[in-house]
Amino acid sequence: MDFSLKAMLPEIFLATMTCVILVLDLYLSDRFRRVTYLLSQVTLVFAAVFAIALWDNHFVLMGGHFVSDKLAVVLKTSVFIVGFCIFTYVYDYLRERDIRISEYYILALFSMLGMSILISAGSLLTLYLGLELLSLPLYAMVAMIQRQNTASEAAMKYFVMGALASGMLLFGISLIYGSTGQIHLDALPVAINMAEQPDMLLLLGVVFVVIGIGFKFGAVPFHMWIPDVYQGSLSPIVLFVATAPKIAAFGMLSRFLWDMFGAAPETWQSFILIMAVLSLLLGNIAAIAQTNIKRLLGYSTIGHVGFIFLAIYAGNFAAGAFYVLAYALMTLAAFGILVVLSQRGIEIEDITDLAGLDKQHRWLAVMMLLVIFSLAGVPPSIGFYAKFVVLSALVDAHVAYLAVFGLVMSAIAAFYYLRVVKVMYFDEPTQTREITIPHGTNVLLSINTLATWVLGILPGGLMAICLLLY
Amino acid sequence: MEIDWLKFFFYCYAALALFGATMVIFSRNSVRAVLFLVLTFVASAGLWMLLQAEFLALILILVYVGAVMVLFLFVVMMLNMNLSPLKEGFVRYLPLGILIAATIVAQLVWVYKNTDMAALHLGELAQKPADYSNITELGLALYTDYLYPFEIAGVILLVAIIAAIALTFRGPQNRRSQNIAVQVATRKDDRLRVIKDVGPDSDLKA
Amino acid sequence: MLTWLSIIIILAPLAGAISVGLLGRVMGRPPAHWITITSVAISFAASVWILGIYIAQPFEVFEKTLYIWGQSAGIPIEVGVYIDSLTIAMMCVVTFVSLMVHIYTIGYMCDDPGYQRFFAYIAFFTFSMLMLVMSNNFMQLFFGWEAVGVTSYLLIGFWFKRPTAIYANLKAFIVNRVGDFGFLLGIAAVFLVFGSLNYGEVFGHAELLSNETLTLWSGTTVSMATAACILLFIGAMGKSAQVPLHVWLPDSMEGPTPISALIHAATMVTAGVFMVARMSPLFEQSTAALTFILVIGGTTALFMGLVGIVQNDIKRVIAYSTLSQLGYMMIAVGASAYAAGVFHLMTHAFFKALLFLGAGSVIIAMHHEQDMRKMGGLWRYMPITYITMLIGSLALSGIPPFAGFYSKDSIIEAVKLSTIPGAGYAYFAAVAGVLVTAIYTFRLFFMVFHTKPRMDDKTKSHLKESPWVVTVPLILLAIPSLVIGYILIGPMLFAEHAFLNPSLYVLPQNDVLAKLGEHFHGALAFTLHAPMTLVFWLAVGGIALMWALYIKWPGIPEKIKNHFSIIYKILVEKYGFDIFNDWFFGKGTRGVGNVAWKVGDIKIIDGAMVNGSAHLVGRIAKLSRYVQSGFLNQYVQIMIIGLLGLMSWWLYAWVG
Repeated sequence: MDFSLKAMLPEIFLATMTCVILVLDLYLSDRFRRVTYLLSQVTLVFAAVFAIALWDNHFVLMGGHFVSDKLAVVLKTSVFIVGFCIFTYVYDYLRERDIRISEYYILALFSMLGMSILISAGSLLTLYLGLELLSLPLYAMVAMIQRQNTASEAAMKYFVMGALASGMLLFGISLIYGSTGQIHLDALPVAINMAEQPDMLLLLGVVFVVIGIGFKFGAVPFHMWIPDVYQGSLSPIVLFVATAPKIAAFGMLSRFLWDMFGAAPETWQSFILIMAVLSLLLGNIAAIAQTNIKRLLGYSTIGHVGFIFLAIYAGNFAAGAFYVLAYALMTLAAFGILVVLSQRGIEIEDITDLAGLDKQHRWLAVMMLLVIFSLAGVPPSIGFYAKFVVLSALVDAHVAYLAVFGLVMSAIAAFYYLRVVKVMYFDEPTQTREITIPHGTNVLLSINTLATWVLGILPGGLMAICLLLY
Repeated sequence: MEIDWLKFFFYCYAALALFGATMVIFSRNSVRAVLFLVLTFVASAGLWMLLQAEFLALILILVYVGAVMVLFLFVVMMLNMNLSPLKEGFVRYLPLGILIAATIVAQLVWVYKNTDMAALHLGELAQKPADYSNITELGLALYTDYLYPFEIAGVILLVAIIAAIALTFRGPQNRRSQNIAVQVATRKDDRLRVIKDVGPDSDLKA
Repeated sequence: MLTWLSIIIILAPLAGAISVGLLGRVMGRPPAHWITITSVAISFAASVWILGIYIAQPFEVFEKTLYIWGQSAGIPIEVGVYIDSLTIAMMCVVTFVSLMVHIYTIGYMCDDPGYQRFFAYIAFFTFSMLMLVMSNNFMQLFFGWEAVGVTSYLLIGFWFKRPTAIYANLKAFIVNRVGDFGFLLGIAAVFLVFGSLNYGEVFGHAELLSNETLTLWSGTTVSMATAACILLFIGAMGKSAQVPLHVWLPDSMEGPTPISALIHAATMVTAGVFMVARMSPLFEQSTAALTFILVIGGTTALFMGLVGIVQNDIKRVIAYSTLSQLGYMMIAVGASAYAAGVFHLMTHAFFKALLFLGAGSVIIAMHHEQDMRKMGGLWRYMPITYITMLIGSLALSGIPPFAGFYSKDSIIEAVKLSTIPGAGYAYFAAVAGVLVTAIYTFRLFFMVFHTKPRMDDKTKSHLKESPWVVTVPLILLAIPSLVIGYILIGPMLFAEHAFLNPSLYVLPQNDVLAKLGEHFHGALAFTLHAPMTLVFWLAVGGIALMWALYIKWPGIPEKIKNHFSIIYKILVEKYGFDIFNDWFFGKGTRGVGNVAWKVGDIKIIDGAMVNGSAHLVGRIAKLSRYVQSGFLNQYVQIMIIGLLGLMSWWLYAWVG
């Protein structure tokens, strides 16, 4: 057993600092609330640095419950970076509305700790615990701001369905454990291979586990929470719920389907395909009828999940990893802009709230335009490249008809994305208002937005990293 | 015929647990539902006892039955919820629910029937010696092999506490405490307001 | 070193374009032009630097893949550079002309509200053109090809409030699509044969092309070389405006004049010529394709020139002259005298940019009046423009020692020696074209600068020479138009190690320039030999004729017009290409569209398929909203049904 805790430094540091912030925050008066914010940011920066430092090593610690490999490093670092951006974007929003900042940051930090544990899970047990640690703060965050009843409703739905999905996941895990007697991910492939004919209990367990994964991603038919939660909660919460957990969920997916069942893709492929096709269909078509921008982005998320699952179906996990990172980057910018725009007593809820944005704040409109185009997959944005990688993976896997299907679906998607652009640029603003963005937020948001295009033009580096993971 | 008492008790407890769980759903009175849940827990404790996990069985009774469920009972009684409106859709969805549940159960049973249980890595449940300490073994497992999951579970509990507080805490301004100094220093103008200009059409006139 | 220089060359204009495009409104006018001019100047300097490196120590080719963008079905999609003498020549020409146009634009666009947008566009155009020129693979070439097309589209329609501009840019876009379609098919054919899109690999195995055949329909086969080359050439016809895909170029004059100079004269339209020269190893494989090029080039050179004679819009005259000169270049490459084609491309870039910018200068002075019938006698008011335009006109007409003479004469001599079928026709067209060129050029020159002033008094009172930002580029362009032919003809075409030779591939039996080179005894001798050729006297005769008709006896042109009204009418209607296109393609597609709409859409789709697909999508969307009712128990139900579905599927797949 290796007791070198160096490999766990990101988690240990994150946990410790979160507790420190939690205690410190109790003694801070409201005037010094900024300290909480700054400390949270410092925590994330250091956690990211510690994570990156582990790049070249492969650790298995804690009796096999903890794994640190390249996948863990990449996903953790992405989670921390995304978290850093989120914290910056939401600070002024929370400040202006007198919402208790500390709770948001502390819960989010705990959630990111859960993501980190989930990503680094070496056994089914830690996988489950990480998932719970990830989800619990999310439920609380959705419910926390009770300015509107929809928040409690959304939280309730999220919680009940989340509990159900967790139950299914746990049931699946217990079936796998019961069938193989193993809970360690590295031991499971051996156990599975030992049995020439994998037995039925194990295979049934896979069904349940895949459902658990599908729920976390929001794949059809386990997507029902997404539109309601996105619409019901405030933008800063959605910003968090929509981005970082998806990266972690990809970690979970990768641990299950690649580390454990990578050698036997036929055990899970068909479920992933069903969910992918349904998600693409429903996500993109239902989005057309939406008038609420957050709900629209929710459905578009479902559509993107369809693409991620298509990549997984084709067996190209690297493409999936690229897509999920691209998705996180784009969604971060999209919701980030919505958060920044919601100021001076105005919440951006409907698409029409964006009317005439071009005339109110030109640069924000340009950024939104860039992000929307990227989400729609206009070349040469990162959204386009991610789709391109997935589609060519499908072609390589000799399922070109799925590639065509994906193409058609992204063409439909372009329709509702363009509607947002049309409203921003060609509709008259309903009210004249002045939008001010704090300097730091503006810079970070601009970098974020431009990154969606720069990485689309020069995707080689990120793609190379993704290829190293598998 | 030799009766396998172990099996006999197993089926007794299992039946009891299933009955309790069913009644939790079907009972009309919420207090009774909670009590049936207690029954389910007790039956599960019995099952664990049969597996020679005495410590866990007792902890289950102590913690869940003794503490959690009692707390639950208090909450349910204090809220005095009327469950009947919540059950309105029950009958409407019952046939579909039963159909789905039955199909799933049928499939599960089918899978179970078609699984070669002997091939599973289940291992025979060995009869432990009399001085075998459940607590020691549990402690050893928890603090060596399963230290990491154990700690994560601890963090989850911490988060649960924080989340609960975050959801219920309304801020210090809601405290109903007495401030004597303010009460003494108060003046008539602070408490009384004279409404002038009562017009002829006002309701106050009548 | 070369890698870094080439990266700088490509990225500097892009950086300028992006920064000005995004922040132009914020930064205001002066920073906008300073940033873009600096970026293009950097590119130009770096190009010259590479030229210096090459001259100091010639290298065969420098090829490097800078970045692998992605990979699809085993084909890497790369960004790379391929630097050889041809690339270097193009780089220098493009960046130099672009720099001149950037400076000139300050003066020309000074009162236009879209000032910053314009600079962003032309900087982006420079970037695209460099991508096209420096590419090391067909994919990137196609990217550059399309990117210059898009910028051209945007710039023709720059004044998007004019309906004619919108019509013109739409026309350019559509006509170019026709060419691009052929081009794309050509690239596909290349990939089919070689399994690679990299220049190095393709050119290295060029002979593979002639071994393959393509079956059109049973019994009729063509050599793959012919098919691929003609398809690629169709792309070039679109971009380089060869008959019958030339119709967009005259209309593109709706764009601002600097654009006409940069894109529609000096650089973009020559991309076709460049491409054929670049692909010389492929085109050499097919005599049929070369014949095709010769015929098309010859037709364009002569007949488009003729149309130029009857135009009255100053820019349109130059536009038709551009068409005609592009025809010359095509004749050259068709006769396998690739070096002569590229040489003419270079000299033409300088003097044609000069002519356009000069015309622009005139247009500024005339307050955006472009009709030559309302000009006249301008030499008095704008001496610098006058002199530089004179230089440009002489160069265009091919009078020694101006640049155009050397390149054009080499082409004519080369095609005379060529044995490729069609060379005879092309030779005739080229020779006749010389007379035509001289006629339209000096018709324009005399009508604008000499003869009696015909403008109204108000305009006349404001006539003055243009500001220095306009005249300096004119002068800077006049210098190469004057001397570059004399200086470069030896090193470019006939020297022992001619500059372009390493990049071009010519079969020995086609190598007319080598034959021509045997009689070449230096530029001076070449110049002195001129008066002994028919071509020279044709040019001089043309000029003299115009002098006679427009200055000495100004009444005659009207009489000629009346006497030969049929010919005049044909020329004014440009042989009816536009009428035919409007009638056949415009009306025809609208007709087909109408039928498809009435039968297909209304009856089949709207009727049978639930009121059109959009409606269908809307209905599905409504249905899904109905499912997303907001009731938690329904949500959970759906999840459970999902579970049931997956389980049943699993049982079915694994057991049943």
